[in-house]
Amino acid sequence: MAERIYIFKRFERFWHWSQAALIMFMMLTGFEVHGAYKFLGFDRAVDLHTNAAWALITLWVFAVFWHFTTGEWKQYIPTLEKADAMLKFYLTGIFTNAPHPFRQSQLIKHNPLQRLAYLGVKLFINPLIWASGLLYLFYGSWGAWGIGGLRLEWVALAHVVGAFLMLTFFIAHVYLGTAGHTPTSHIKAMITGWEEVE
Amino acid sequence: MKSTKIMGALALVSLLGAAFSAQAYDGDWKRGRVYYRSVCTACHTAGKTPGAINPSSKTKAEWNAYLSADKHAKGKDSVKQWAGQAYRNSIKATNKAAEKFATVPDAELMEDVKVFLMKGAKDGDAPASCS
Amino acid sequence: MSMRKYLSRTLLSAALLLGVGAAFAEDAKPVKLNTTADHSKFKELQKDFKSGPEVTKACLACHTEAAGQIHRTKHWKWEYLNPENGQRLGKKNIVNNFCISIPSNYAWCTGCHVGYGWKDANFDFSSEENVDCLACHDTTGNYKKPAGLAGNPPTQDIESPPGSGKIMKAVNLSKVAQAVGKTSRDTCGACHFNGGGGDGVKHGDMDSSLAAPDKELDVHMDASGLDFTCGTCHKASSHDVAGSRYTPTAMDKGGAHIKGKAETGNPTTCVACHGNGPHKKAGLAERLNLHARKIACQTCHIPTIARGGVPTKLSWDWSTSGKRDAEGKGFVKKDAKGHIIYDSRKGDFVLGENVKPEYVWFNGQVKYTLVGDKVDKSDGVTKINTMGGSPDDGKSMIWPMKVFRGVQPYDAGNKTLVTPHVAGNDDTGYWKNFVWDKAIAVGMKDSGHPFSGKVDFIKTQMSWPITHMVAPKEKALGCAECHSAEGRLKGIPGVYMPARGDLSPWVDRAGWTLALLTLVGVLIHGALRIVSAKKH
Repeated sequence: MAERIYIFKRFERFWHWSQAALIMFMMLTGFEVHGAYKFLGFDRAVDLHTNAAWALITLWVFAVFWHFTTGEWKQYIPTLEKADAMLKFYLTGIFTNAPHPFRQSQLIKHNPLQRLAYLGVKLFINPLIWASGLLYLFYGSWGAWGIGGLRLEWVALAHVVGAFLMLTFFIAHVYLGTAGHTPTSHIKAMITGWEEVE
Repeated sequence: MKSTKIMGALALVSLLGAAFSAQAYDGDWKRGRVYYRSVCTACHTAGKTPGAINPSSKTKAEWNAYLSADKHAKGKDSVKQWAGQAYRNSIKATNKAAEKFATVPDAELMEDVKVFLMKGAKDGDAPASCS
Repeated sequence: MSMRKYLSRTLLSAALLLGVGAAFAEDAKPVKLNTTADHSKFKELQKDFKSGPEVTKACLACHTEAAGQIHRTKHWKWEYLNPENGQRLGKKNIVNNFCISIPSNYAWCTGCHVGYGWKDANFDFSSEENVDCLACHDTTGNYKKPAGLAGNPPTQDIESPPGSGKIMKAVNLSKVAQAVGKTSRDTCGACHFNGGGGDGVKHGDMDSSLAAPDKELDVHMDASGLDFTCGTCHKASSHDVAGSRYTPTAMDKGGAHIKGKAETGNPTTCVACHGNGPHKKAGLAERLNLHARKIACQTCHIPTIARGGVPTKLSWDWSTSGKRDAEGKGFVKKDAKGHIIYDSRKGDFVLGENVKPEYVWFNGQVKYTLVGDKVDKSDGVTKINTMGGSPDDGKSMIWPMKVFRGVQPYDAGNKTLVTPHVAGNDDTGYWKNFVWDKAIAVGMKDSGHPFSGKVDFIKTQMSWPITHMVAPKEKALGCAECHSAEGRLKGIPGVYMPARGDLSPWVDRAGWTLALLTLVGVLIHGALRIVSAKKH
């Protein structure tokens, strides 16, 4: 019988899923604004994308606050310890029913590859998207801010590159969500907070 | 020729005399144009019964006779009522011209329309077909 | 306001009105309220005028300075010296790609001159009595100046155009003179609706449908709404009317004009009333006002031109003119709606209604190709007027234009545009004889330019800034009209527009490839897991 441990607290789960919903929605609207397809109509897509951005910023303010007050930010300190084992597991062990090399605990929630990936998202993809997105949004004020020399296409390029990286992360992340001890253990944990471990 | 014109004018004056007492009113063909196009043409247009009726559909004499007889829809009702305040009030919520001219005295507006029709008649100074 | 309060107020005001009405109805002398002078009461005008100049003399007896004021204007001189580039412009001097030019065709063209008797190059521009007051101040709508009479109204019934069988009635000058008043859409429109030789032909945003338009067609001129006349925006001072197509105001940073303040800006711009931040709708205002820094109001607020049921001409090919039917006569061809699309005298036309304008960066500087200027057929298309502008000169906005394309005769020897003698019942007029060299030789002599005798045809185009037929705000362009790959601003340089595909296509290719490879990778990985799970 598998053991169950409580990994994800209520706020953490709320934060994860609302962020997930907002990011999916922003990809849907954002790629329409980019011209990839016509779905909601350009006007509505812009409007909704902007509103979702403000919602996500608000969520982030709370999340950042939470990470620092609870010390949870330490979950993202990178480590290479056992990273090779994780890699090996994903490449071979997972097919041969080998045991999962990482054991979660409340203190260490993420395996080393997760830590690296999430840190990358937090330190590179998110800042790229947020900075370019906010500049995009406040295009009209660039002159007043003394950055009139900036060109909209550079900002747009950064935003679009960030969006593609986010999409790539999203695909990999959703899939790896099934690569826990059992295919559904990570997902259940993210919903209920309880992870099954061996 | 000239005498019929004078007769027509006399008929017109006598027709409107009652409404205007002593003072003469110069019809405003532009106001008539707006009213005709916005109100009359709302029904009298291609695709609706009885079809389009343009100022140039009739001669001046024919218009004169029509207006003097004051029989609209083959005598079912009067022509005048369609330019009257009562009718304008009844449609002013949906018809901007009726709203704009809501308070113009009946006889004045009728005269405006008449002047426009005379001007735009088949043999008028500027035959007008509404496009 | 509560219902009771509202009712009582309404009743009170109704009672007041009735009371006032009753009190004044009997005493007040009936007067005209639209003028202080009933011209029909003036002895000077109560006579049988035999000609236009006779009327003008009567006008000038009181309005002593009027003719002199007119003499200073483009409406009179048909000449304009562009202060920016020194070009001598004006109808008298320029060539277009419609009926081409005025010289040697005066009596036809000057039906739209605010004067009487300009029949050749010797017209006396200092004559006061030859100023035509009625062209602009007629209120009857019956004043006419047909082509061929050198700006004179017919004083007896005439056939116009000659040979058409249509009778134009003599103008009763006394009636017209006694009813003079302010200018109107009808008076301005008598000429400006008919530029290029017919209703709606030239501009596309001006045709007879604007005489009494509805709100859909023009939100300002709406005859049962705001009812602007031309003069509401084109404010005249001393008979000089504001607004210019030779030196238009492309960008107006001056804000809304305020009464009492000495305004030096052009009163005809949208900004002159609406200011520089006209959008108020919450949430959207800021973004739209930002657009208004680079995009002329007209671009979004005039979705299409020729919306009033009158088609505008889009192209004119003179090179196909001159065909004769079996009897050796010229003929015309009409489209399904009865509009002429071929005329032996003129060539082939393309007409259009609800036409989407074309868009360019425009800074208000217009340079003309004049008769003496060299043109080169190998250039492809000769621009008769070149609209200045660029995304980064700080003076340009994205403007809608009607671009009128033509094929017209030119002097292949001297490589210049020509001024052919088209109109005229003589043996050189092109419209009568269908012979180019004679017509051009006469016309070039009249305009004072050399002619080599070699006639060929050259492609030309003219741009006409679009500014009328402003639609109600609900009908303004939606975002996607421009924010899409095949939108209206496709190819407009110097702006980044989301959804237009402005980034390098490699960004998208790389991005989608990366995402796709990841997807394929995880799918294969997943499939292998499923397969291996069954084995173990």
